[in-house]
Amino acid sequence: MRNALAGVERAIFWTLAFAAFAAAAAGLAARAVDRVAVGYEQARTAYAIVRVEAPDGPEGMAAAEQALASAPHVTSAAPMTAGRAAALLGELGGGVPPEDMPAPRLIEIELAPASPQTDVSGDIVAALAQGGVTAEVIAAPDEGAGGGLAARVRAAALWGSILFGLMMGVIVWLAARGLAARRREMVTVMCDLGATRGQTAGRIADEAAVLGLYAGAAGGALAGAAAVIALLLAIPGASLETLPAMILPIDLAPVLAAPLGAAIAAGAGARAAAGYFHGQAARLG
Amino acid sequence: MARPNPSPDLDLFERGVLVRLSGVDAGYGGSTVLMDINFEARAGEVALITGPAAAGKTTLTHVLRLALPPRSGRAVILGGDIRRARPRTIADIKRRVGYVAENPVFIEQWSTFDNVAMPLRLLRHKPRDYADDVQELVEFVGLGGAADLAAEKLSGAERRRAAIARALAAKPDLILADDPTAGMSPADGRRIVRLLAEMRRVGAGVVIASQDDSLAECAPMWVWRIDRGRLSAPEQTAEANDAEAFE
Repeated sequence: MRNALAGVERAIFWTLAFAAFAAAAAGLAARAVDRVAVGYEQARTAYAIVRVEAPDGPEGMAAAEQALASAPHVTSAAPMTAGRAAALLGELGGGVPPEDMPAPRLIEIELAPASPQTDVSGDIVAALAQGGVTAEVIAAPDEGAGGGLAARVRAAALWGSILFGLMMGVIVWLAARGLAARRREMVTVMCDLGATRGQTAGRIADEAAVLGLYAGAAGGALAGAAAVIALLLAIPGASLETLPAMILPIDLAPVLAAPLGAAIAAGAGARAAAGYFHGQAARLG
Repeated sequence: MARPNPSPDLDLFERGVLVRLSGVDAGYGGSTVLMDINFEARAGEVALITGPAAAGKTTLTHVLRLALPPRSGRAVILGGDIRRARPRTIADIKRRVGYVAENPVFIEQWSTFDNVAMPLRLLRHKPRDYADDVQELVEFVGLGGAADLAAEKLSGAERRRAAIARALAAKPDLILADDPTAGMSPADGRRIVRLLAEMRRVGAGVVIASQDDSLAECAPMWVWRIDRGRLSAPEQTAEANDAEAFE
């Protein structure tokens, strides 16, 4: 890659790097949206409240607590205190002092992940009934209350980032044609010396692909660095020590795909342009 | 001495006929530049195509270097009928043609050595196999001191010499030179033509297109005169292999 980063090639390099940066950043943003959506969905489906209707009194609460200990989907269960109930009401705009709050006959439970087809409420009510408790699940996973939103958001983020990445690929493809135009003299020389269209285009495409690889690596690395800074600013308590534990291998995919994608797009763009120039040089008239 | 009109033949190349054009028309866009061209070049001989400016010399050179397909007639170059040949065959034939353009194109940032070695690189020869030969060739054309110089730093005359070295690098069967002495002093021009004509001794055919018909005095050659796209029958300046008569 003789003089590949000199003059116009430097401008092409940074054009490719910017496009790779934008594509990688879009991919990382999509991963962030995906993880937030997954977290939201897990939080939404992992919590329920059971209201104990019978038997009355503390016995009913104790029986319910005991039945819930072995109920399906339940990972933990704890009776709601008056203070906790007052705090929840306070969040909703109600201002009831804890001392004025009657003891609620509610049990908060945390749920294990279950498939959307599972009737979690029905299973819990059945388990309580087996323990002699009549109860109602008043907050539980429900497709009607925001169900499916996370999946739609995740799909939108994925396809949006793919579309954006393709657009950046087109920019890289076009910029690589500029490199081929810069190598027009080489195309002419090779054509005059009897190089086939494939040989000529391949030579130029190889150079463009290497340039794309380096530019994509630079763009991807910059996007990764920007993502780290964004995480440190956005997540309270996050530090360079804690970040590795938070990052999944798949989160790195956009950064790793940037050099590969840029190399492929640049190589393809340069190959197409060089082939066209070769055709022009090969046949006058 | 006039040469008989060429006749069609399929194994021309094996009989030493490198080029045979029969009734060829060629041109660009809507204009026809060459009309009813009959031309022949043989191995071990030199042909000079001479005529006034815009007579069609360069266009004929383009036909001979397979860059301009004939519109009609029959063109057999290095054993291939170029009107019927596939692109790969055209490329194969081109590799056996050494071409010195009127304004040679180089890869400007590359050294003279690398530019001259380009045909060998295309043939996938290894640098260690061709380095000595290329260096010798560069020195042979008088550019020994400029071998490492980037092509963009060469003067006009040096570029022409470099183009000749590049044209000879792959030991082509046919050498074409389009106005190789343009912009040179008469002495330099004659030296260049003699240098090209020397290639006939290794069995190559040499075709030189030039406005300067006095170049015919440099070496024994066939002289073809072209005017307004029509080529007349050739004349021989001396016995084709009697080089000593000119030296």
